[in-house]
Amino acid sequence: MKRGKGWLKPLALLSLTGALLVGCSSGNNASPGTPAPTKKPVEQVAPQATSTDDEKPVDGGTFTHSTTSDIVTLNPIFGNDTASGDVMEYTQAYLYNRNPSFDLAVYPWSLAAELPKISEDGLTYTIKMKNNAKWSDGTPVTADDLIFTINAIKTPETGSPEITKYDKVKEMKKLDDYTVEIKLKQLYAPFAFGLMQKLAPAHVLKDVPFKELQAHSYGKDPAKTPTSGPYKWSEWKQKEFHVLDANPNYWGEKKPHIQKVVYKIYADQNTQVQALMKGDVDFVGSIPVTQLEAVKAKGTINISTEPGPSYEYFAFNFDKKNFPNNYGLFEGQKTRQAIAHAINRQGIIDNILKGTGKIMDAPFLPGTWADPGDAAVHYEYSAEKAKQLLKEDGWVAGADGILSKDGNRFSFEFIFNSGNSRREQAAVVIQQNLKEIGIEAKPKALDFSALVDQYANPGKFQVLLLGWQLSDPDPDGISTFGKKAFPPGNNAGWYDNPKLDELWGKAVSTVKQEERAAIYKEVGKEISTNLPYVFMYQYGTPRGMTSRVKYKDEFKPVSMIPYGETFGFLNWWIDDTKK
Amino acid sequence: MTEYLVRRVLQAVLVLFLITVVSFGLMHAAPGGPLKVMLSPGMSPEAQLIQMKNMGLDQPVYIQYMKWVGNLLQGDLGHTFKNNVPVGDILWPTVWNTFVLMSVAWGLSMLIAIPWGIYNSTKQYGLSDQIASIVAYLGFAMPTFWFGIMLQQYFAMQLNLLPLSDMYTMGNEGQVGDLILHLILPVTVLTLVNIAAYVKYTRASMLEVLEQDYIRTARAKGMKERRVIFRHALRNALIPVVTIIGLDLPTLVAGAALTESVFNWPGMGRLFVDMAVAREYSVLMSITLLISLMVIIGNLLADLIYALVDPRVQLGRKGGKAA
Repeated sequence: MKRGKGWLKPLALLSLTGALLVGCSSGNNASPGTPAPTKKPVEQVAPQATSTDDEKPVDGGTFTHSTTSDIVTLNPIFGNDTASGDVMEYTQAYLYNRNPSFDLAVYPWSLAAELPKISEDGLTYTIKMKNNAKWSDGTPVTADDLIFTINAIKTPETGSPEITKYDKVKEMKKLDDYTVEIKLKQLYAPFAFGLMQKLAPAHVLKDVPFKELQAHSYGKDPAKTPTSGPYKWSEWKQKEFHVLDANPNYWGEKKPHIQKVVYKIYADQNTQVQALMKGDVDFVGSIPVTQLEAVKAKGTINISTEPGPSYEYFAFNFDKKNFPNNYGLFEGQKTRQAIAHAINRQGIIDNILKGTGKIMDAPFLPGTWADPGDAAVHYEYSAEKAKQLLKEDGWVAGADGILSKDGNRFSFEFIFNSGNSRREQAAVVIQQNLKEIGIEAKPKALDFSALVDQYANPGKFQVLLLGWQLSDPDPDGISTFGKKAFPPGNNAGWYDNPKLDELWGKAVSTVKQEERAAIYKEVGKEISTNLPYVFMYQYGTPRGMTSRVKYKDEFKPVSMIPYGETFGFLNWWIDDTKK
Repeated sequence: MTEYLVRRVLQAVLVLFLITVVSFGLMHAAPGGPLKVMLSPGMSPEAQLIQMKNMGLDQPVYIQYMKWVGNLLQGDLGHTFKNNVPVGDILWPTVWNTFVLMSVAWGLSMLIAIPWGIYNSTKQYGLSDQIASIVAYLGFAMPTFWFGIMLQQYFAMQLNLLPLSDMYTMGNEGQVGDLILHLILPVTVLTLVNIAAYVKYTRASMLEVLEQDYIRTARAKGMKERRVIFRHALRNALIPVVTIIGLDLPTLVAGAALTESVFNWPGMGRLFVDMAVAREYSVLMSITLLISLMVIIGNLLADLIYALVDPRVQLGRKGGKAA
């Protein structure tokens, strides 16, 4: 699984950008406690259609999308942060889109005319584009734009953060103005998902040297940024708002009903939620769980609490150098399994996440094609089972009640980013849960940058409590769990499992989805048994939309895909009688 | 006077230089860095190196500092790492926005607090004095963000009388009437806090002066109380008040980050927090420099005003001669 912005986004989701960074804070100040074991089903409130069949869409109106961070750039070669992505969802068309099941799809608003044709050997992709697509300045969108975009991204001088998407491209050939053939250096199934790409205009940028692309005004000056999507970028007031107007040159058969989108930037989540409740904005993507009841009580806001494409993990470090006496505390598989049994994940979901999460047993999002389902081992909350496993692994209680083995106390430090109230509260629960089975786990909150720079990247920690946002729908996980991804790669805990490495490799060596799914079942089984992480839960933040925004069921927001909250936006409309 | 000014300005330049050296060093010594905040972890070390070169981060810190100073001397505040936007484009609008908010709050606070403090000093423990004490307790004790939220709840959410946040309603940018409406709530918060301090200082300072011998003499001579207060006492009593107000001057540009956040005011306080998270060194250095400059100017002005308010304070004396 490629995790774009992995370290960063979790936080932004955050409550950061979150509060300051991704996935971080929910602004939740409730006092942490140990959630009681529970088996009650978790209520999930999914987004519902907000219109009845007899309601007809009307044209006009303004939709205000709120956020807590400003864009970096609207140039698709560089903009990979959440805010830039949000605005580009309205302004830039994708070559291919993804459907609600996370699959590659061609829609009337996609630049591609059909799904890519993949050669028998899986090395050649032929992409056919629509011949009527235009930039907002009237210039046609062609094969040149596609080739230019991929070339720019894969060239290191450009400095694109998306470089790993296309580093396996060997050559590209323009077959005609709307058809491109891409040859890969090696078989690599996730490449198809890399084609969910927004394009940059070659007619504006082709003469700019790659290393000067980032400084170019395209993507930073609305007047110099032609767009390919249904909206054009009319105005940017830094740190305040963006105005997007319906693109008069939009080529798609389906034109947007909503005439104007305002992307409004707030200082923090609380201010944002106030604005939602007053009706100043139409959409908030992250309502702190502590404010959920107040927002619900307002009665005019539709709330979705489905989790998004992110999950939390408790990662063990397998490098013995990080422990006193070079004694790796997490060597024993049974020990790791005991910890998985001891942590009350469902209790955390119910009490801290207020139900806005789902337990995960493997690194695949529940409900997607790669989800191994029951093939993955599920660790139910049971202190008894945990104690039993620890005993079997040779741990015995010492004089102070803490377990020990070979003269080593079972005591470790686990780190997470400060300012993320969800993690801060979960950390306390984990500490108490582990204390109950004789393990001393000491939580330590650190500034996010410091954590990544000094602990995660060099792989110097004992346990890490963090999250991943799965910005790429492909389930390949070798860049997180493979030996090749040892620090400074994403495999921060030095997890080495040759069997798993082989399975990951096998899975990307076929482009047939059924074959891949079968391999991921095996991966799910192996990884959940061997446990480099305790996979905690898929999580998300509750989202709210004012009832003046209308859509039919088939175009409702989709939580599972990145930017899915505006999936189907072209078909939405504003009913100003419902303010 | 001229000699004094020249000396102070030279001192200021030295202090500013030291502040920039220390700030630059500290920022670069802190963990993280702009590259860490921006890049995806999958990026190859080679690609990261190229990116570092593009950003000028591969150079030793002292070279980066000298480049920054060189650009600054030519009036160039640098560019942001994230999207290569000139720092001035981001910074100046926020400085102006904060100045608008803070100057209204500051001016209003002085207009209310100084006369109030004077009045209370003449009517010690009267009703007005008691009210001032309550205001002061509230102002000192109440968290400003909480007070702001309460005002928002009541006046914006429940009564729907005033805008909830922002500087203008979208589409009304530049309209003074709209700006005034948006100013009311944040100015109320900031004014309450300032009044709390200024009333107390003015009152205390006046009381101290009113007990001096020369005031007693003036009264004994049969001078009218009004004349005693305004002609004799006030000038001296204002000296410490001027000091306090002078030291507050930097907040005119630095702003109050919390109040700006609660009211979503697009000011410099908010910008500083955002930029600190993103490790945007150029913006942070510019803000640090600007605030330092304001502190120095505030101090200088306070000293100069001393001299105007109280001729006994003479500037530029050397050699320990009696003043």
